[in-house]
Amino acid sequence: MKADSTISGLPRSRRREEALSSVPQKKSESCYLGCHQQAGLIAIKEFGDRFRSGWVIACVLVWLGAIGLTSFLGLVQIGQIGVQGYERTVISLLNLVQYLVPLLGLLLGHDLIVNEREEGTLRLLLAGGVSRWSCLLGKFLGGCFTLAVPLILGFAIAGTVVGLSAKDNGIAPFLRLAVSGLVLGILFLGLGLAVSTFCRTRVQSLVAGLLLWCVAVFVFDLVALGMVVSTRSLAAAQEIEVLCDTTHVNAAADLHSAFDNVPAGQTPAVPASRGSTLGWLAINPVDLFRAVNLSKQLELQVPVLTMLLTAALWLGGTLGLSLWKLRRTDL
Amino acid sequence: MSAYLQVSGLTKHYGAITALDGVDLSVERGGVLALLGPNGAGKSTLFGCVLGLTRPTSGNLLLQNHPLTDADRRSFGYVAERVALYPQRTVLENASFFARLKGQSDSEVATQLKRVGLYGVGDRKVRQLSKGMLQRLGLAIALCGQPELLVLDEPFNGLDPVLLDTLQCILRAEQARGATLLISTHTMSAVEPLASHIAILLRGQLATVGTLEALRAEHGAEDSLETIYHRIARCTPAPEEAFA
Repeated sequence: MKADSTISGLPRSRRREEALSSVPQKKSESCYLGCHQQAGLIAIKEFGDRFRSGWVIACVLVWLGAIGLTSFLGLVQIGQIGVQGYERTVISLLNLVQYLVPLLGLLLGHDLIVNEREEGTLRLLLAGGVSRWSCLLGKFLGGCFTLAVPLILGFAIAGTVVGLSAKDNGIAPFLRLAVSGLVLGILFLGLGLAVSTFCRTRVQSLVAGLLLWCVAVFVFDLVALGMVVSTRSLAAAQEIEVLCDTTHVNAAADLHSAFDNVPAGQTPAVPASRGSTLGWLAINPVDLFRAVNLSKQLELQVPVLTMLLTAALWLGGTLGLSLWKLRRTDL
Repeated sequence: MSAYLQVSGLTKHYGAITALDGVDLSVERGGVLALLGPNGAGKSTLFGCVLGLTRPTSGNLLLQNHPLTDADRRSFGYVAERVALYPQRTVLENASFFARLKGQSDSEVATQLKRVGLYGVGDRKVRQLSKGMLQRLGLAIALCGQPELLVLDEPFNGLDPVLLDTLQCILRAEQARGATLLISTHTMSAVEPLASHIAILLRGQLATVGTLEALRAEHGAEDSLETIYHRIARCTPAPEEAFA
């Protein structure tokens, strides 16, 4: 094998010596701003693509329709129709938000990476010097915008209508529902992104996403309830009852009926004191979401630190897992 | 003169399969390296490692004596064997998106689209492009920002003679500008007039590397590159376990 002036196949031992002797110093450290700019460009493109595909508009319409109908017909089960005050609207909307928002997040996130990988565009994206972190962050932020627009629009319009119709100034519970719902959606978007990096095809990713949704929204509570019953833990049983049963139709009706004999502006009396050791339920953001929004009615105080920690752990965990996997993926 | 791109001891295993087995190669600035080899020889894997798409099992990749980083790759251009772009977006939008990721302006995009003859169809959706147009768009995106290194994976596949000539002219111009070119191909007649150096990869190992003149001196003075390639490929015994 001949070596020459331009391209040469040098002996391997010499190459390794050269490689080891050369100090691995980066030529430039100025990529940090660039990395974020790249993530921003990818996020804008992602949002633009979703907007053009009609995803955002469809979500706005579905969300507005669902939120409007639930606000208006939320009290049918106790014989009332019409827009109620913020606090009662929150109870009516709780089921909708806890089922629909995680589903929206997972549906949005499940194909963020796997779609580009299947189409082959991820190769071109990463070959152009875009770091995997920038790509992941851009995709995640684009997904966040896509999720946030319909949710914020829906909550803003519904909130305005409720406020004007019911002449209610106590918007705090509704704002809490909106903010916690948005955070819930973002956490599940992160989970969807992680699924998207682990799966090889869109179909695989969609199935995995739907299974995760079922686990988070239904199976987790059933398993938790089963564990409590089997271990006969009375205090924990109360917690499970609070967090699982209160959102069922009859229990929600009970909650609504508690308002009926109370003068306007006052909070209804709570039938019994509940346990306060809710830490382990923070494993599942859906349960935490319920606890946060039912805190007043059921005297459940969820510490702010627990909420922040759970959100940070879920977000950090899913993004970290996604990055770990993406860095190990050969394209 | 030190090497521009240096590959040393590059090995890649996919489970039990060895795609690259200790490849040592260096390319100096301005060189055109034609990487030849049969399907499954490891050409695309080698390019994948250079482009950061594939993680090597072991070995080093140095660019001007520094470990290759994502930031370095912003000065690379890449044309894939199958050009994949966003079909629902227009030619101009696709090119602008990838150019902006490299920090390039829209005027640079326009320049490169004009260069490959696609400026007139800037508003056309990518899904409406023919294969040849898609290849040209891929090339225009790769050329944005005057890349220092152009990596072309099977760029001559399925091109008509006119397009082939255009591509060769562009690649010659890039070479004259001082860009370094890595080209993998099976179309040896197309790469022969361009390549300053030839590397032949067989079953993940570098069978030979050198200038065309050096290869001719060693394997047959009057022969074409294709004849030399076949001669070398036939002489290299296949390990039993490779690519089962």
